[in-house]
Amino acid sequence: MKNTKNKILPYLLVSPYLLHFVLFIAFPVIFSIVLTFHKWNIISPMEFVGVNNYVRLFNDKTFFISIINTLVFLVIHIPLQIIVALFLAEILNQKLKFQGFFRAAFFLPVIVSGVVVTILWQQMYGFDTGLLNRMLVSIGLGKIGWLTDPDVAMVSIAVMATWKNVGLYVVLFLVGLQTVPVHYYEAADIEGATRSQKFFKITLPMINPTIFMVVILSTIGGFSLFIEPYIMTGGGPLNSTISAVLYIYKQGFFYYHMGYAATLGIFFALIIFAVVIIQKKFVEVKN
Amino acid sequence: MVKINLKILSLLFVCLLISCNNNGNNDKDDLVYWSSNNSYEINYARQLTEEWNKNNLEFKVSFQPVPEGQSSEEIILAAVVGETTPDIYSNMWQGDVEAYAQANVLIPLDTLDGFMEFLYDRCNTSTIEEIRSLDGHIYQIPWKINPIMLIYNENIIRDLSLKRPPKDYSEFLESSKEFKKDADGDGYIDRWFGYAEVQVTWWQRFFDFYPLYLASSGGASLVKDGKAVFNNEHSINVFKFLRTLYKNNYFSKEKLSARQDVFLSRVIATRFTGPWEIMHADNFKTDDFEYNFVSMPVPDDHEGPVYTYGDPKNIVIFNTCKKPENAWQYLKTMISDEGDLQLLNITNQLPRRKDLLENNLFQKYFNNNIKMKVFAQQAKYVKGTDASPVLKEVFDLISQQYEACVVYGIKTPEQAIQDAADAVNLLFLD
Repeated sequence: MKNTKNKILPYLLVSPYLLHFVLFIAFPVIFSIVLTFHKWNIISPMEFVGVNNYVRLFNDKTFFISIINTLVFLVIHIPLQIIVALFLAEILNQKLKFQGFFRAAFFLPVIVSGVVVTILWQQMYGFDTGLLNRMLVSIGLGKIGWLTDPDVAMVSIAVMATWKNVGLYVVLFLVGLQTVPVHYYEAADIEGATRSQKFFKITLPMINPTIFMVVILSTIGGFSLFIEPYIMTGGGPLNSTISAVLYIYKQGFFYYHMGYAATLGIFFALIIFAVVIIQKKFVEVKN
Repeated sequence: MVKINLKILSLLFVCLLISCNNNGNNDKDDLVYWSSNNSYEINYARQLTEEWNKNNLEFKVSFQPVPEGQSSEEIILAAVVGETTPDIYSNMWQGDVEAYAQANVLIPLDTLDGFMEFLYDRCNTSTIEEIRSLDGHIYQIPWKINPIMLIYNENIIRDLSLKRPPKDYSEFLESSKEFKKDADGDGYIDRWFGYAEVQVTWWQRFFDFYPLYLASSGGASLVKDGKAVFNNEHSINVFKFLRTLYKNNYFSKEKLSARQDVFLSRVIATRFTGPWEIMHADNFKTDDFEYNFVSMPVPDDHEGPVYTYGDPKNIVIFNTCKKPENAWQYLKTMISDEGDLQLLNITNQLPRRKDLLENNLFQKYFNNNIKMKVFAQQAKYVKGTDASPVLKEVFDLISQQYEACVVYGIKTPEQAIQDAADAVNLLFLD
């Protein structure tokens, strides 16, 4: 009797997670893979279409534009995020008056709803009445189509996303900076090192693991770019801000091309997987 | 960035809400009716069902507005998926009907006793043909329309050399040129003759390209027999016209809808809009602000009536209805003369019927609501949408080309229309 109980108990203990895993991870993934071979608009029965969705994917220019847009966003957003976060963390790591206030202030946008932040920035980016253009005009410069110029719109979104998320990375860098032993800096001071020498020769190498963590977190966050272009530009102008996730969403929940959206989703997941593997290899080599 | 797709969550939440919803349909013969969740329509539906329940003992109708969600279309879809649809729904966008008909979730109304006679009595032949599905059946009752017209500021128009609202493209462009202005002297235009949303969202084309296309073509189709039929001079002319408006800064490329009403604050002089604007304008305009409506502008050589998009919302009976005959009995009172008068009086929306201006019953309403009479006159020349299960995609493909050609000018109108038509034809091949 006791033996049977001992056999059942481990299964009972893992069953809540197992149930969660089966219902919310394994089943959706398997169902999505099955969907990639079907045409389904939710209301009509599924229709088997073989590899048609994959053929369509490789001929879908807009999807590849959306992937390029996402990569462009990452290329702008990640370095900007790291530079700004590190700069702010460096300042906040000094003995400042109202240090607690500044730390809270920089973190505040992180906890504000993404939709609220996006709407706020949309107003600031307005061509005629937006704060930014009013400032530019007041100092004698020309207006910029922050969200209407196809060459500028993605940069505007990246800047806004950086402002929204930078507080989180400031905290991570602060933690990293505080783990650097003070005696390294004291020794450097004795040797007569300048401030920038100390930063590049001591601080940066010492916080390398934090930088990599920030890069990985920003990459994963950047790949899921959705709410900013969805609210601010709808993917325009001229598809210049349509992200891969926004495009998949449009196919799935706008046009109800569930099979095709699943195909795009699986393909995009493979791209993210490849990028993460490359990053992992890079980190291993570095280590 | 959100890690969880908000739309998926909201759809699931709506499914949950709907499945938990007790419609109060306790008796198996009772009917459930969902109306739109617009407050005027709620009042209208409530009055109608109360009257019905007071006078009819055979079966009762319980009414509720469509549950709240991102859009009523999304709620209906969730209800269809969850098989929790009401018996009757009265705010169905005409463009959605074909997809639901093909999914077999609607009752073919032409199979109901007396339906076709009633329909021929109410509507003209072109309306009936317009709502006929591709399988030959009729799944919807033409109920109400909100025609898209040109609203204009009478005070501004009087000051322009034309002295009257523009009728054709040349007059429109001439008035636009005269009105545009850099009022604050910062070197940028801040007074435009008109405004239309430049976003590529497919349904935005119901307020610019589509009504202009219908006006120019006399109500022609966009798609027919499984192929695009809009690659013609009408759509090219509309693109050319709109492109000129943006190129010359007569229309703003910026999103103006997020600020104070640009029409009432005299930033723009005209807008393509529907009769809902009347209540809004009357509530928020200053005392000296005068406005009126005219038909959509047409090409200079246009002859014949000026059509527009009617934004029709129709009534359907879902196949979850156990007694479609009962639902039809109820609907006959809803779209009777008295029912339509109630619709007009309570909601200020036009019933889609052929005798709107001739029927004496409605005269008093139109005499008291002169601006609505303009829409009633236009109602003779409205069109809804073509019967196609991929209509949203069709409008999306046109919208993509609209942005490239009209707003950003990187394609010629001919090329843009050709590309849109090719893409639509590919869609039908799929």
